Amino acid sequence: MRPETSVGIIGWGSYIPRWRLPLSEIAKLWGFAPETPRGLNVVEKAVAGRDEDAVTMGWEAARNALLRAGIDPKEIEAVWFGTESKPYAVKPSATIIAEALGITPDTMATDLEFACRAGSEALRISIGAVASGLVKYALVIGSDTAQANPGDILEFTASSAATALITGPAREAAAVFEASHTYVTDTPDFWRRAHQPYPLHGEGFTGEPAYFHHIVNAVKGLLEQTGLEPNDFDYVVFHQPNGKFPLAVAKRLGFPKEKVLPGLVAPYIGNSYNSSALIGLSRILDIAKPGQRILLAPFGSGAGSDAYSIVVTDKILEKQDKAPKVDDYINRKYLIDYATYAKFRGIITRIR
Amino acid sequence: MRFSIPRYWRERHSHYRLYAKKCPKCGRVNYPPSNICRYCGSTELEDYYLDSEKAKIISWTIIYPAPEGFEEQRPRIIALLETLETKTHIIAPLADILPEEVKEGLIVEPVLRRIKEDREAGLIHYAIAYRPVIGSIGTNKQ
Repeated sequence: MRPETSVGIIGWGSYIPRWRLPLSEIAKLWGFAPETPRGLNVVEKAVAGRDEDAVTMGWEAARNALLRAGIDPKEIEAVWFGTESKPYAVKPSATIIAEALGITPDTMATDLEFACRAGSEALRISIGAVASGLVKYALVIGSDTAQANPGDILEFTASSAATALITGPAREAAAVFEASHTYVTDTPDFWRRAHQPYPLHGEGFTGEPAYFHHIVNAVKGLLEQTGLEPNDFDYVVFHQPNGKFPLAVAKRLGFPKEKVLPGLVAPYIGNSYNSSALIGLSRILDIAKPGQRILLAPFGSGAGSDAYSIVVTDKILEKQDKAPKVDDYINRKYLIDYATYAKFRGIITRIR
Repeated sequence: MRFSIPRYWRERHSHYRLYAKKCPKCGRVNYPPSNICRYCGSTELEDYYLDSEKAKIISWTIIYPAPEGFEEQRPRIIALLETLETKTHIIAPLADILPEEVKEGLIVEPVLRRIKEDREAGLIHYAIAYRPVIGSIGTNKQ
């Protein structure tokens, strides 16, 4: 028996900031063709306020996951925080969240980095830690206030959101893991050097050799390992750098559009990096029914992808209404202009 | 470095979780925490965290002249709140709300936010602020 089968998701939760920047604002300011947002299949992006960062957003996502888990925070023995927008370059974010949620001091806590899939790597690590009995529950968070060079095409999608998952024993879980598979290579599609405020990327190179190659191979590895076929899955959720790529990779792997749309959040909020695929899973768990099977495949530049097969249990029904849902946050929005976004995200330089 | 590091560390449970003391005898919450119940004089108080409760707005003030370090959060909205379960009074900043959206009786909930930071390189001060419960205020969507 694979170790994954003894582990499941006990609680899940997400967070999206209230503020939204219509992408037409970016196109207008930087002189892009007006149809650029439509080409990306994204309308607006979520923008964290001046008083928010990856820690505060991760805190709220984790609080929602705790509400659904219904466990004492002290029972969590690992807090793993995946981000590429740490408020401190040195000083763990995980300890701030662990302290603020009453999880400290008898717990592991650390930050992970792998572009957009650090949170997913944390999820795979947590499966091993729970399956081995090293910890009873682990809190895994993917949270980002994604940065982009102003005027870069990336600015259209780089957004802010967070998702948290609490993993624990399968017998208590709302959804259990069936199998997982990871595929990584050294692929230079996107990076940020030390002390640089914004990442650079290889334009078209981010697609074929990076996003598509790694996700396709991670999913193929999972299907070969389990003998499952696309027909066996009710929902599929991929990393969402825009609203277009997930539909394209689904088609290539033989999944119809209808199985992708319920977990496709990017058109409403953009690409929330470490929360990008996980918030799609969170939205599916908000509505999933017992017995349904979900394929999850996050991706991170640099590059790698993890594919998970997850089966929903009957415990999901009692948890779905215990915390705000992804759609509640999608609907909580207030449109802002480029100037407000620039102020919120620290793009306006001033002496402090 | 303008922050007192020991003070920020010492007060972290007050800032992160609104640490208080609840009196098992009279049921009242002592906030800020105290070792003797200021309502009945009992000395057997229990730890209590007010971040477990939603609250309602009793009154508020909008502060336009920002003190140093708060220029980017101008105007700040500071509210007097009453928590829904234990009826404890708290003064706290509001978040995710515009001045024209604030009203008496609005239900708000605690969220962890960046309150201020010690210039470019110093500590970031996180603490509880309150924002309208999800779905309670509108949008400007056309």
